[in-house]
Amino acid sequence: MAFAQHQTSRRAGLPQMLLRLTRGAMLIVGIYLILYAFYAYQQPKALTFSSFGSLMNNTAPLALAAAGQALVVISRGFDLSVAGVISICNVTLAVYAMDGPGGALLSALLCIAIGVTVGAVNGVLVAVLRLQSIAATLATMIICQGIALVILKAPGGSVANWIADEMTGRLWKTIPVSGLVVAFVVVVWLMIRRSRYGLSLYAIGADEQSAALSGINTRRVRFVTFVLAGAIYGLAGFMLSAQTATGNPTSGTPLLMLSFAAVALGGTSLSGGKGGVFASIMGAAVLMLLQKVLFSFGIASFYTGMFQGVALICAVVFSGLLTRLGEAK
Amino acid sequence: MTATGHGAAQAVAEQLAFALSAAGLRKAYGATVALEQADITLTAGRVHALLGENGAGKSTLVRILTGAVRPDAGTITLGGAPYAPRSLIAARGMGVATAFQELSLVPNLTVAQNLLLPDLPKGPLGLVSFRRVLEQGADILARHGLQRIDPGAQVGLLPLAERQRIEIVRAIENAARVLILDEPTAALAETDWLFDRIRMVTAQGVAVLYISHRLAEVREICSDATVLRNGRSIASVGLSQASDGDIFEMMVGRRVDHSARDRVGPPADGSTPRLAVKGLSGHGLRDVSFALRPGEVLGLAALEGQGQRGLFRMLAGLAVPDAGQVEIDGSPAALGSPRQALRSGSGLAYLPEERKTEGILAGLSAATNVVLPVLSGSAAAGVITPQAELRAAGPSAAKVEMTPRYLGFAIGDLSGGNQQKALIARTLATGAKTLLLFDPTRGVDVGTKQSIYAAIRAFAQDGGSVIFYSSELPEVVQLADRCLALYGGKVFAEFEGDAIAEQALVTAIHGHGGGHA
Repeated sequence: MAFAQHQTSRRAGLPQMLLRLTRGAMLIVGIYLILYAFYAYQQPKALTFSSFGSLMNNTAPLALAAAGQALVVISRGFDLSVAGVISICNVTLAVYAMDGPGGALLSALLCIAIGVTVGAVNGVLVAVLRLQSIAATLATMIICQGIALVILKAPGGSVANWIADEMTGRLWKTIPVSGLVVAFVVVVWLMIRRSRYGLSLYAIGADEQSAALSGINTRRVRFVTFVLAGAIYGLAGFMLSAQTATGNPTSGTPLLMLSFAAVALGGTSLSGGKGGVFASIMGAAVLMLLQKVLFSFGIASFYTGMFQGVALICAVVFSGLLTRLGEAK
Repeated sequence: MTATGHGAAQAVAEQLAFALSAAGLRKAYGATVALEQADITLTAGRVHALLGENGAGKSTLVRILTGAVRPDAGTITLGGAPYAPRSLIAARGMGVATAFQELSLVPNLTVAQNLLLPDLPKGPLGLVSFRRVLEQGADILARHGLQRIDPGAQVGLLPLAERQRIEIVRAIENAARVLILDEPTAALAETDWLFDRIRMVTAQGVAVLYISHRLAEVREICSDATVLRNGRSIASVGLSQASDGDIFEMMVGRRVDHSARDRVGPPADGSTPRLAVKGLSGHGLRDVSFALRPGEVLGLAALEGQGQRGLFRMLAGLAVPDAGQVEIDGSPAALGSPRQALRSGSGLAYLPEERKTEGILAGLSAATNVVLPVLSGSAAAGVITPQAELRAAGPSAAKVEMTPRYLGFAIGDLSGGNQQKALIARTLATGAKTLLLFDPTRGVDVGTKQSIYAAIRAFAQDGGSVIFYSSELPEVVQLADRCLALYGGKVFAEFEGDAIAEQALVTAIHGHGGGHA
């Protein structure tokens, strides 16, 4: 629904642009702000740059994983390979550390290349060989986890200092670098969303057959989607490595289910054709902030999962109610 | 396309060169031969009808011409040059475009985006310019007299008839040489708009292939027809030389009895009506009351969007009325869901409008689709075996003359007519005493129609009651014991017995003529 509304508004101008940007994600942004107010009330230092920066650092890997996942989900698919890609990137950076800004750039490109490769394999399996996405990506995930174990048998190694320091730092002691990386992905997404590919993505998610009969090359769109998602997972692996500064062959696994939770929390329908990448990133941000808030309330960390699950159910029910109200009018 | 600046003879030659000609087309899927030997020739600037029963090979022939399927044998020429499109887009590139019966619009995109796919106009940054998409979309709509449709509206939220018009407009826009219309009037209650469009494109020298089950329509707009039967093209005839009887005979291989039946009016005693609707309002309906007697077939005649959809959905428990009540067998019924509707009193069973999305469960077998509402009845110790399903589905399938062989197939693989038979068998299998049939023969062929009519009559003779809406007036005339004409959400006129005549109905559904006959 929200998607079509974006394009029906004929007026332009900055306020409209901002409205357009957030309308689909308004609910989840609102939840985030309320939750942040809670957090700040409990922990006044939450409003400092350093505290916000560290929250961004915690959030970035999941936010990026959710961004890639959202692309695949919009096209009516599931991508489990996210866990495998992140694990491979992480152990690669821990074993083959390349220091300095040049090394960091090379590492980032390497991670993106890993993601693109896995994404291309997924793309061939799903778009060309027509395997079900959940089965195909389950297989690639298992393979990737195997490769990660071959590269690094047990947790250890250490990520280049430059990456660990600079990618988790703040520019001019204010703007978190990790936030910039996420913002970059959002900007790219906003462009993609307005491209022919972007519209085709929503089209094949809603009705693949009609999309094909409308002249959309559904195979290519599906393939490109997996490759793009893989590239973003690569970035997620890069940011996770910067944050943990060490290697772990199973480091991607916890992000798998949470990436789906973030997508659903952001209001992206798991049956495809609806939702957005920005909303999914905000969904990830809410999940991570929830962790902080619970911690600040002194609730033991093993309860976190329970709260995240309940929050997910509440958000899905609430957004469903809103949709129904909107449709009734 | 236009021949301005050329001599007349040259123009004629040029137009003839655009014609499409296919010879000896053959296509088999495994052991099933869908098309055995088909020849067809389309002439530029003329409308050619393709007639045949479901399963005669029409869909396969259309798929070949649109580039969706490649034939095993045979040749096609387009404008004198070989024509073998590898995809729909390739066919479109050569000027052959199709309006599909099942519609091929993407529901979550806007009207304008759908019209312009896949080459949406770009802005300065190389991104799609939504402004230009809307402008161009609005231009296209205006060109085809559809200014009332908002180019920015989401397609999935539009009524079926408007979606069908958009599908047709899109095909016309892409059809430089050949326009294929597959059941273009399936959701349209009137043909004026469509025929205007067709006359416009034929004036530009486009050849039109027109596929419809409505022979009256075909006679009005088409000049020639090719008849397919069992995968073979039986004949190509000029329509002015062939009578309806001739054509039906070519289609089914036997004469179809089209004489009106004797209407056996149910006894007009004071017995309790099976269904009484009192002051029902909402969803386009305004204060409608009527009663349905046991053994009665009640037809609804209306132009599209006069509240008939709301009426059926409210009776089926899919929509909540604003006001009014419904009584079944004399006691008030709560119709909160289709399941409740089915279980209220003697039961209401609903045949939905859109079989692709509301009706069939495509992945399951036809038998499963039929016995779905009565699954527990066919279970032994809670376990449902395929054999039990086949046994349970058999009697209902027989009532609609559905070949038992088809019951084991996935319903999505069956032809439209057989899907519809299975769905009607499903409503019969529920055991409900009242059937709500929304356009029960939409997009099915003459033979299937007769089977469905026979099933409905047999059901009424056994004491069942039927309410049906049809977008085809001849169907109402043929089938109904009594008929209500809806106009503006109200019952505008009521006809009974022999008073149900096409002429009278046409006036009534347009809101003219003298009320109750």
